[in-house]
Amino acid sequence: MGSYADDSKWADIVPIPQDDGGPNALATIAYPDAYSEATSYLRAIMAKNEFSDRVLELTADIIDMNPAHYTVWLYRAKTLLQLNKDLREELDWVNPIALAHQKNYQIWHHRQLLTDKRNAYDGEREFIGEMLDEDSKNYHVWSYRQWLVRRFDLWDDKEIPFVEEMLKRDIRNNSAWNHRWFTVFGRYRPLTDIKHTEQSKQAASFAPLSQTGRTIESYPDSLIDREVAFAQEAIKLAPQNQSPWNYLSGVLREAGRPLATVKPFVEQFANLDEPEKVRSSHALDFLASIYAGEQPTSGPSSADESQKDVKKACQALDLLAEKYDPIRRFYWGWRKDIITKEARATGTA
Amino acid sequence: MDRDENKIEELSDTSAETIDASDEEDERLFGHQQHPTGADSPLVPPLFTSLPPIQDSLETETSQLQNRTIQECLPLLAAAERAAGGAIFDFNPYGLPRLDRERHVAFLQGSLGRLPSGFVAADASRPWMVYWALTCLYLLGQDLAQYREEVIATLTPMQNPDGGFGGGHGHYSHVAPSYAAVLSLVMVGGDEALNLIDRKAMWRWLGDLKQRDGGFQVCVGGEEDVRGAYCSMVIASLLNLPLELPSTSSAKQNDSDTLITGLREYLARCQTFEGGIADSPDNEAHGAFAFCALACLCLMDDPQKIINETLDVPRLISWLSSRQHAPEGGFAGRTNKLVDGCYSHWAGGCWPLIQAALDGPMPFDGPVAPTVGTIYSREGLTRYILCCCQGKRGGLRDKPSKHVDAYHSCYALVALSSTQHSYFYMGTAPDKPITPLTAAFHWASSPRVLDSNGEIQEPICDEEDRVKLIHPIFVIPWGVPETTRAWYEAKSGL
Ligand SMILES: [Zn+2]
Ligand SMILES: [Zn+2]
Repeated sequence: MGSYADDSKWADIVPIPQDDGGPNALATIAYPDAYSEATSYLRAIMAKNEFSDRVLELTADIIDMNPAHYTVWLYRAKTLLQLNKDLREELDWVNPIALAHQKNYQIWHHRQLLTDKRNAYDGEREFIGEMLDEDSKNYHVWSYRQWLVRRFDLWDDKEIPFVEEMLKRDIRNNSAWNHRWFTVFGRYRPLTDIKHTEQSKQAASFAPLSQTGRTIESYPDSLIDREVAFAQEAIKLAPQNQSPWNYLSGVLREAGRPLATVKPFVEQFANLDEPEKVRSSHALDFLASIYAGEQPTSGPSSADESQKDVKKACQALDLLAEKYDPIRRFYWGWRKDIITKEARATGTA
Repeated sequence: MDRDENKIEELSDTSAETIDASDEEDERLFGHQQHPTGADSPLVPPLFTSLPPIQDSLETETSQLQNRTIQECLPLLAAAERAAGGAIFDFNPYGLPRLDRERHVAFLQGSLGRLPSGFVAADASRPWMVYWALTCLYLLGQDLAQYREEVIATLTPMQNPDGGFGGGHGHYSHVAPSYAAVLSLVMVGGDEALNLIDRKAMWRWLGDLKQRDGGFQVCVGGEEDVRGAYCSMVIASLLNLPLELPSTSSAKQNDSDTLITGLREYLARCQTFEGGIADSPDNEAHGAFAFCALACLCLMDDPQKIINETLDVPRLISWLSSRQHAPEGGFAGRTNKLVDGCYSHWAGGCWPLIQAALDGPMPFDGPVAPTVGTIYSREGLTRYILCCCQGKRGGLRDKPSKHVDAYHSCYALVALSSTQHSYFYMGTAPDKPITPLTAAFHWASSPRVLDSNGEIQEPICDEEDRVKLIHPIFVIPWGVPETTRAWYEAKSGL
């Protein structure tokens, strides 16, 4: 009847047909016969907890028909580990499937599991590069790379050039910007930093949890200078590109440097004396933060109040609301409210 | 909780007598001819019909895709401006096309029927197919009780002895299909559906998913991410599961450890330098995970308290606000990505939760009035959903160049509902503090949208294009979370 039923290798197995809920069931699928048959053998195999070479053939067959079947991948991984298979060989088998199914994410968990077990990362960064050639913002692929770097301590000289190559292709690739952040700052911020201890509960009383647990004193000045300069060069290429603006603001906040340290740079793209000539709404947003005297969210109190000018902050926010980014006008209005209320409270208005 | 329920009824009662209906009628009958195309007061504001004020000359893949997306949306956003003669009646006085209710209902009923062999890729997502369609059908005004037997029949074979549901018969238990299955069962309701879930086993299984770092795996041995956390907490909260960790959980280090131990800290680690939230620490900020993280926090406590204590809220809002694009009006999931109908919910659905964090709890026995109110463009989102997401033959989609599907239909319609309503977190009596995992049962809603001055914002949707009210955290019909929880509370033991 089918390729399994006719195969003596599977003669000992009594397939368990799918119970898809009977005649009244919803969203039933007209499965191709081959898929129905293979999955009924899978149910039977799983019921008897068999891990064998024929299981690898069966799971490969099902994956070929439906790579989104997460159970098949998990059972396959268990089988590979039980049988002590060559996991590099498995990764090579997976590669073309990953390339053919860009959106599939089960593959990436499988890959992570095997790479972790292998305790080796040879070929992995190369394959990631191949994947990103097809889809430069693939979330699962970038996440896997971040996991890989942490897992094998790859804070080496390959990651930054890789990011720069990706950004050379598309300076607006935000996934690449995120990876740059991770590569530069991730090593200073081990994942174990924030622990659920009494200490972190106390920290929450003056700063949100996401802002605690950093070891900012360890950032060398030269590193921060380099990252600020990198973001600024990118902004010059395309000032309306939000990614480097987010990066620049993030770097300054992370390092505890006042936003106002880059005010002359920002004013090249948005200057309140020339409101008609704004070249970047993000620069205007940045300028509003500088004039509002926004403090770096972490680090020693190094807020620079000298540039604080509530009137100018409001002017920048009005320009955004009315002219340069009006879809967000309620947001800009809300920011203005906060600034003016704060000014009234402190008598600086 | 009794008091809150009264308050919810009060709220919807008083708000039922909305704006004078006869005015609306007049506007609909006579308004259209008063807006000739090309006149100085266009039906559609120029914000939604013209290019962004600043565009860089440097071209990259990102800018090309973005421009292409604007070009495919503009004609649909501005369609009312060009409509002439009888075609003008296809639009409401604000230049919005009608909600194509009948065709959407037909499409979604179809998605619950026999699906062709091409759907084999959805074989591990059948509980989702059920959930998406039921949610849409409810929003569009259909009675879900008629599906009760079918839902039970469909999901029964997917429940595993370990307590979770798999994506299909014989699939491993996984939080995503478990979430979809549990929500589908409680939506159709009734003793048989609610009794189907093995709560004791479910609780033990959630304990197996709990990780020492505070988060949850999506299945035993699977990946850990904020989806896992949100889905687990929805299940635990709705089903009134014990808060304590089962002794079988390998995450249990101290006797006092619970399902939520370390969870806030885990979610905090997912906030990125951009201010948004990633699926797990180190990764890129993404709309879907922002919703999961915020909703998860709102399940745990008063939104104002827990969101502000866990996340850098000004950065989060700055990031979230940037995800709404003009002229498209819809939301993108990440920086420099494209608008997509499903992010109308994933990113857009963060707003009611953020708003509750800013407004703070409404006074336990005082009037309901937001202090901050809406800070995104409800109008833009409504325009994107109605103009760009509706397929000609029913169903809703990612963007005009994509096919309709049940997933995008669901999250576009959920978001449309959100644009049409206001939600409030209600304070509790001083002697009745919130207990963990009951916070989400203290919300109220109003069909009127109030701004920060307490004034009613004029809706741009006509009455006939309104969809039903949905819970902003559980994403199931309004009122169902409370009745479900009460049903399980009344049941003795697990
Ligand atoms: Zn009109
Ligand atoms: Zn989508």
